[in-house]
Amino acid sequence: MTAPARTSASRVTLARSVGRGAILALFSVLLVLYVAGPVGWLVSSSLQAESEITAVPPNWLPPHPTLGNFEAIFGAGKRAVTYENRWRGDVATGRFLPSGAENLLPSLWNSLTVGLWVALLNLLVSITAAYAIAVIHFRGRQTALYAILVTRVIPDIALIVPLFLLVRNLDLINTRLSLVITYLAVTIPFTIFILISYFEQIPRDLYRAARADGCSHVQALAHVYLPLSLPALVASLMFAFLTSWNEFILALILTQNIASQTLPIVISGFVMDFTTSFSFVNAAGVIAIVPPVVLAILFERYIVSGLTAGAVKG
Amino acid sequence: VSSAAGGAATIVANSALDRLGRRLGYDERSAALLILPVFVVLAAIALFPIVYSFYTSLFDINLTRPWRRPFVGFGNYARIFADPNFWIAVQRTTLYTLVTVTVTTLLAVAVALLLNEAFPGRRLLSALVLLPWATPSVVNGLMWKWIYDPGYGLLNGLLTRLGLLDHYTVWLGDPDKTLFMIANAAIWKQMPLAAILMLVTMKAIPEDLYKAAKVDGANVFGRFWHVTLPALRPGLMLVLVYETMISIRHFDLFLIMTQGGPGNASYTLSWEIYVETFRSLKFGIGAALSYILALATFGLSYLFIRGLGRKLA
Repeated sequence: MTAPARTSASRVTLARSVGRGAILALFSVLLVLYVAGPVGWLVSSSLQAESEITAVPPNWLPPHPTLGNFEAIFGAGKRAVTYENRWRGDVATGRFLPSGAENLLPSLWNSLTVGLWVALLNLLVSITAAYAIAVIHFRGRQTALYAILVTRVIPDIALIVPLFLLVRNLDLINTRLSLVITYLAVTIPFTIFILISYFEQIPRDLYRAARADGCSHVQALAHVYLPLSLPALVASLMFAFLTSWNEFILALILTQNIASQTLPIVISGFVMDFTTSFSFVNAAGVIAIVPPVVLAILFERYIVSGLTAGAVKG
Repeated sequence: VSSAAGGAATIVANSALDRLGRRLGYDERSAALLILPVFVVLAAIALFPIVYSFYTSLFDINLTRPWRRPFVGFGNYARIFADPNFWIAVQRTTLYTLVTVTVTTLLAVAVALLLNEAFPGRRLLSALVLLPWATPSVVNGLMWKWIYDPGYGLLNGLLTRLGLLDHYTVWLGDPDKTLFMIANAAIWKQMPLAAILMLVTMKAIPEDLYKAAKVDGANVFGRFWHVTLPALRPGLMLVLVYETMISIRHFDLFLIMTQGGPGNASYTLSWEIYVETFRSLKFGIGAALSYILALATFGLSYLFIRGLGRKLA
């Protein structure tokens, strides 16, 4: 009597788990389409020639995949574009090469150097401050933390006027240094927040032991805290680099020549110039998207744990 | 005599220093030294601009006539509040922020619920979700602008193919649609971070609560309503405050996709600040507008925290 009852019960659970699996699969597919679909089409368009991306209805996948747009970008520096020869440019971009094409590679280099400097300096300054606030129980630490965090409540757009005037008075307009300095103001508060949350999770007994052994604060930081917070340090480097790589408005205001302009600024110039072929712009977009996406996917674990530390506290 | 007095003075001074040193122990002195670099940097590039911005907002500064910059007190603010364009910008910003924050939060909760389940491929999916987050906003703007393209865009192609549209439609160029189209691009980029924050809060909910609810006979929806949702409040507050702050000040997409247009359909506050400052070169008005936006952001986050905090208690 009991055997059939058990079978029907297991059939119910089986049906239920199949139903659950189907629902999860359906939503997973929808999520993948939503998240990756637009980027997929950007990549697909960047591999098509101008005549193909202007087809109606659109080509979902490149009918004749070509790297012509990328060749046009990476080869742009070799030839000067003039009014006479620009119509005889690359076949892939519809024989049309935008006049600023040779700026892309220098701006890529600017983006990289600014990003690396910001990531490095940001970490260097934030570590000591985060240690002081998280570990040393001094009077006014809560006030110090609020003072640092409140600077992020002010919108960037509200800071551009005074920052522009400040940078202009210091004669730093059109320098990468002006970007590094201003980006630090954006990244430091967030980094300190992440590091504090992480430092506070490290058992305080380790700190007491180090101090009892005669370690100074700097030694305790270097020998106890830093080796134990590698994930938070990696996350901080990543966040600072990505913030710098993506930043737009400050770079737009503070840099006007190619000695200092970053990739987003040069690309936005193409987007707003409606004579530029979209296949070329899409290829530039793909180039700008590759470093952050590779970093984000490689360090996904660190990013989530960094955000987790921040969120649990918040 | 004078050297004796000098010696006495030195002794007094030294003992005062010692007393100060004792009151400010080793901990305090180290903390001050370790924080100093950050304070110097932030004072120069965050605190100084905030103060300087307010100072600038009190003058009628116009770079087209740099030699004359009269003090006008709160005159710039009065002119802004009397300007109908400002109220259009407030209206556009409000609509854009409401749409972006609401949809981002709802999507984030849904995605977090999905990623909170255990199933094969979940790790891959949660890595993939970071894709929009990692996309630079300039690329985000150009990508959606291309998708919305009235002649060759994916959106028209897709909707026609699905039979939802019988002719190609203008999207960004339509004043009634443009704010929603920009909001959609913003939501796409902002959703992942919000989803991760919600997921983290969800993971912190004790399993016992669900077990207890099951014992009480609550079904999936009952458990979501009575257990998950109340426990999500802290994460929800964080997401709401953060997304509101991000949306109300958003600039990048407006420059890249529409430049405030068509007409004034996407003329938001951040766009108005940019135009007044860097196109009309009215730095005083720009600074005053910046201050209004900063105070609005500040006030809104305060209200959110107060309001949601009270509900929590």
